[in-house]
Amino acid sequence: MEELSWTGSFASTLIPAIMIAFAIFLIGIILQLVMGFFASEVKLQSNTDGTLKSRGGLQGQLEKINTQLFMLIVLIGAAIIVVSWFMPYGKAGILGEIIKRFMPVWIALIVTFAVSIFFKRKLGLYGKLFDSTIGMIGFALVMFWVFTSIFVGFFDLIATHDPLQQISGIKNKTPGFLVPDGQEANFFPHYLLGGDNLARDIFSRVVHGSVIVMLIAPLATVFAFMVGITLGLPAGYYGGKLDTILSFLANLILAFPVILLFYLLVTPEIVATGLPNYMGAFLFIFPLIFCGVLINSRYKTQGKKNILYLSIVLVPLALIYLMVISDNASPLVIWPSKLDFITIPSGILVVFVSVVFVNSPTVFRIVRGLALDIKTRDYVAAAQTRGEGTWYIMLWEILPNARGPLIVDFCLRIGYTTILLGTLGFFGLGLPPESPDWGSTINEGRKLLLIYAHPALPPAMALLSLVLGLNLLADGLREESLKD
Amino acid sequence: MTNKTLTGAPLHPAVEIYVKDAQTGKLSRREFMARTTALGVTSAAAYGLLGLAQPAAAAGHAQQGGTMRMQMEVRALKDPRAFDWTQMAFVTAGWLEYLVEYNSDGSFEPMLLSGWEINDDATVYTLSVRQGVQWNNGENFTADDVARVITDWCDKNAEGNSMAGRMTALVDDVTGTAIKGGIEVVDAYTVRLNLPQSDISLIAGMSDYPAAVYHSSIDRENPANTPVGTGPYMIESNEVGVKAVLVRNEGHEWWGYAEGKGAYLDRIEYIDYGTDPSAWVAAAAADEVDMTYETVGDFVDVFESIGYERSEIASAATLVIRPNQAAEVDGVKPYADVRVRRAISMAVDNSICLELGYADRGIVARNQHVGPMHPEWADVPAIDYDPAGALALLTEAGMQDFEMEISSIDDDWRKNTTDAVAAQLRDAGFNVKRTIIPGSTFWNDWTKYAFSSTNWNHRPLGTQVLGLAYRSGEAWNEFAFNNAEFDALLDDANAIAAADERAIVMAKIQQILVDEAVTIQPYWRSLYRHCKPGFVGWEMHIAYLPQIYKIGIAA
Amino acid sequence: MGLFILRRLGVMVLTAICLTFIVFWLTNLYPKLEVLAKTQGNFRMSDEAVISYLGNRGYTQALPVKYGQWLGVVPGYIIEGSDGEIRSKCERNSPPTDETPTFCGIIQGNWGFSTVAKEDVADVLPTRLGNTGKLMFWVLMVMVPGALIIGVLAGMREGSRTDRSLSTVSIIATATPEYVSGVILIALFATPLFGMQYFKGTATSAMDNITFNNFFLPVMTIAIYGMGYIARMTRASMTEIMTAQYVRTARLKGVSFANIVIKHALRNALIAPFTVIMLQVPWLLNGVVIVETLFNYKGFGWELVRAASNNDIEMLLGVSVISVIVVLMTQLISDIGYVFLNPRIRIS
Repeated sequence: MEELSWTGSFASTLIPAIMIAFAIFLIGIILQLVMGFFASEVKLQSNTDGTLKSRGGLQGQLEKINTQLFMLIVLIGAAIIVVSWFMPYGKAGILGEIIKRFMPVWIALIVTFAVSIFFKRKLGLYGKLFDSTIGMIGFALVMFWVFTSIFVGFFDLIATHDPLQQISGIKNKTPGFLVPDGQEANFFPHYLLGGDNLARDIFSRVVHGSVIVMLIAPLATVFAFMVGITLGLPAGYYGGKLDTILSFLANLILAFPVILLFYLLVTPEIVATGLPNYMGAFLFIFPLIFCGVLINSRYKTQGKKNILYLSIVLVPLALIYLMVISDNASPLVIWPSKLDFITIPSGILVVFVSVVFVNSPTVFRIVRGLALDIKTRDYVAAAQTRGEGTWYIMLWEILPNARGPLIVDFCLRIGYTTILLGTLGFFGLGLPPESPDWGSTINEGRKLLLIYAHPALPPAMALLSLVLGLNLLADGLREESLKD
Repeated sequence: MTNKTLTGAPLHPAVEIYVKDAQTGKLSRREFMARTTALGVTSAAAYGLLGLAQPAAAAGHAQQGGTMRMQMEVRALKDPRAFDWTQMAFVTAGWLEYLVEYNSDGSFEPMLLSGWEINDDATVYTLSVRQGVQWNNGENFTADDVARVITDWCDKNAEGNSMAGRMTALVDDVTGTAIKGGIEVVDAYTVRLNLPQSDISLIAGMSDYPAAVYHSSIDRENPANTPVGTGPYMIESNEVGVKAVLVRNEGHEWWGYAEGKGAYLDRIEYIDYGTDPSAWVAAAAADEVDMTYETVGDFVDVFESIGYERSEIASAATLVIRPNQAAEVDGVKPYADVRVRRAISMAVDNSICLELGYADRGIVARNQHVGPMHPEWADVPAIDYDPAGALALLTEAGMQDFEMEISSIDDDWRKNTTDAVAAQLRDAGFNVKRTIIPGSTFWNDWTKYAFSSTNWNHRPLGTQVLGLAYRSGEAWNEFAFNNAEFDALLDDANAIAAADERAIVMAKIQQILVDEAVTIQPYWRSLYRHCKPGFVGWEMHIAYLPQIYKIGIAA
Repeated sequence: MGLFILRRLGVMVLTAICLTFIVFWLTNLYPKLEVLAKTQGNFRMSDEAVISYLGNRGYTQALPVKYGQWLGVVPGYIIEGSDGEIRSKCERNSPPTDETPTFCGIIQGNWGFSTVAKEDVADVLPTRLGNTGKLMFWVLMVMVPGALIIGVLAGMREGSRTDRSLSTVSIIATATPEYVSGVILIALFATPLFGMQYFKGTATSAMDNITFNNFFLPVMTIAIYGMGYIARMTRASMTEIMTAQYVRTARLKGVSFANIVIKHALRNALIAPFTVIMLQVPWLLNGVVIVETLFNYKGFGWELVRAASNNDIEMLLGVSVISVIVVLMTQLISDIGYVFLNPRIRIS
């Protein structure tokens, strides 16, 4: 066994090929850009059968070549994935081995894409996403990390080592470093992306970090939306005093510099006072209210069904709610500790609560704005004349019609939450120090950046790709939803 | 070399024992220097007693003038007695000087004192005040000033006064102030200290960084407001967290010029780059500073890679990662059980802690908090590294499912070392949770955390730190270690003068620490400072003392 | 209009009061005060000493009373301490004299005393704000023109290759938070690692003397993140204008493309970005905090972090007041500016 090189036996074949193709592709793009400034305006002309005429001239040629080049790059990439799978261990280099480790993710991605594209006409807005290249790339990036976190979190695949395990001798070693002898038989023999400052495997930490990010960011965003929607709809719909007060409160929170708020909330002293638990108790009640009102407003007239649905949804939610917010270590104990099966570590709870708290007012403002706009529509007036309850109108008339912008904002907001989590990690607030989440690892890595760049770059790239994916996805969704 | 002692008095009788011990190798040179010079022997004479010549002062090649910029945290100043960061002393050292100076070779040099004599049983100290020293407001520096400052030091009631702990022999337990008749002004240049019991550590106490000698007009909230002192510099600006600047006090005739002490630089700037070492490197790479205050762990290599010179000194500075035996977690005292503590010690390989925590920049220690650099150290083996046995022992104690929460401060090496301990415990099959506490909060409860790490600085004698931190009921006993046999042995060790006998007692003491598995004390760290080529006299000091007058630009 | 501004100012004052009260409450929780006592007194202080320290300095009074004193509507405390010394708030914990005013709060222009810097808040903050002002100025100088050019070029011809490429660039920019771009920029351009050591990795020297070398990286780090967002907004507004009726008419009349863009579209397309840029200013504050910490530049953001981590109560309150004013003023300006630029909107 020896150290791995970056590309292994691909070094002389596929890698140069993909590099050359990519370089030409880039040059092509730049050429197109430059020519685009000078070229005459594009005039699309249609053939007699209704299809568009392809563009002639140098520009048209370039466009064609570039499309073909792009296909070629995708093909070579796929070839590398497939070929490396059949290569014996170590032959495919670091890249090949990493690709192999991600095999479950590739399979899941391919299945998702195949199924989605096949049924795309029946899948509404989601299906339309597959008409937009930008949206597809974004979706692929996001799903890559979603699948990674699922496979790492639930099935313990992909990661090569325990993210906290330290092996003497691999401190700050470069990618592809061989683990010294004396480990157990099935031990993975290399640190694929090298070791960090505490001799932990960077690759495993990055993929484990995705679990934390994927757990907190979307969930916190969902909670923020629940809070924002539950307060924003009535504020926009009723207006008046309620609106004035709620808007004032939202603006108050928004006037806080986010970092000051974090510094005030996410400190051990504040955690000790139990403030995060109380805030959690307040914020986490909104999903209950939301679900309760949602069902009640719809089935109010059908007494039995109403009670049945309400109890199916609300009882488990209420139980979870009580278990989550009650914590023996904090001053807030409202549930017998013997029945308390869910305990959120205080560090994570305070981070979660703060992120929800910071995001809710923005969602509130968006929802309020949408409600203000939509309440003047005819179908709302129609519902009012039908004599529907106000909550029914808000939740079953206004909300579904506001879903487009909300879904787009949801994607963007997950990205923003991911950035916020990273910011917290960057200032060393919140999550425990050994946590492999990307913000903390970037912060750890940057301290030694001047000598070792390899510990900081993988989490930075991971964070970048996820946020980029979410932004692209949101962009694709926006475009497609505008086409409606 | 006419006189062997600073005052010309005969040698203290204990010196003879020390010479014998040193010649037979029972006393290290550093320790010999510390002990003899503390008894008033000149350092040249102390070297002479060993048959050695005193090393020439390196600063002899400095040129006069120039500016030095040091990367250093600029902290808010306060009453010098309450200083808790040596960085504060680096600023005040421009105008506030010390009675005695402790050097990295272990010797004590007189500064504002010209010498001292100690009687045979170390109960009477006669301090001779240096003549011809002037405050920079024109007043003469006299015995009254010395007596006033020592009286202040003995005031236990002053908030945060840590000098009282160094002057215990002079403090009245009832009133918490200096004992009556303890400090006596004999004439204008002589002060006599009369102690109720013998204590040989007073001179060492006077050399520590909070022992700056200040004028009666001092503003205790911020000494920079009334910078009256005896030193060669004057403060120009002091912006906390940003920058502090010292400039030569042109109008003041410093006593050291005549003595050839130095003060070569015209201007000293301390620039604050925060606590993150990478920012220091960035500053050095951008040529915004000339030297670091201290370089830690991994950054030693980084600074060398950009061409900086290294100053290294092996010290007894260390880190303890200890359980608190009295700590209650969920109604039980998990660490009161010696099996649990032993299991922890057995599961941790100290050399891995050194490698991962401090980049192998030091020597491995044996969890005894006394080491080869201490004169009284005995060669007691460490507990064996045996992770499997550790888990078995923990299971036997019934604590295999107990979640140990290990806390540490948020910084570079202390956090990394604690992380390394946590990871090893986890590898051995323990259930471990790591908590990190920001620097501003960490010290709130530092003695009370159930399991945490604390750094301890270098002290000349091994028994000093054992007495401070391990004796039953001491304020700084963060281990909650309570062992009557240990306390009794420690008293013996403090009294015995001959190295042979002391080694036997020390062997017992160290064995108790190992058997009781009081703490993990993984390594002794070396201290580093880095400097751009072209400076002299900037070497790292073993106890971080601010000897800035020695720094100069190479001629 | 006057009434509108007046009402907004009223809201601003109310917001500032609420906000500072929240900050005041959070910083005055007992564990926080304990931190304060230990950093000011001695790290290894006993619990009794902490209590007497806090009591002597008026920290143990009731919260509304303390807040009133800070605000200047309740007389400043005069306490005879357990150590026998008399301390009064208005004399910075010295004994009161005949000339000591009864009230000394922010209304009287007394911003309080920073326990960390050992200086008056009113002395420290202006220097910090000055430093941040310089940074912001250069950030805006780089960011605004850059973002507008990218946005206009991309929005000129929607769906073209130029649009796609520039949009992707601006999306990547918005997806790169400051702590990622800052780290990458330092690694690339301020270390010998990649052989491109053109700039300095710290901006400490820029406080005295701004040079291209020491200011380029911090400015770029903030500008990149902000640029993406403004560029996308500009693009959106530009594409909308380009499909507007009057532009179509102009094109049908045969006005050249360049003329249309410069003479007809640009002015109207820049209304929306103006509000966005103004609203972006408070967001820049976040970036400023990260960048000032990363590059060790002692401005407002750096002061915020220092005050927050040391529980420097009065400094934090000063910081909050300033940031509330900045946030609400930019909102006000963007509203007023929007009205002036867009004659179709009138405030009722």
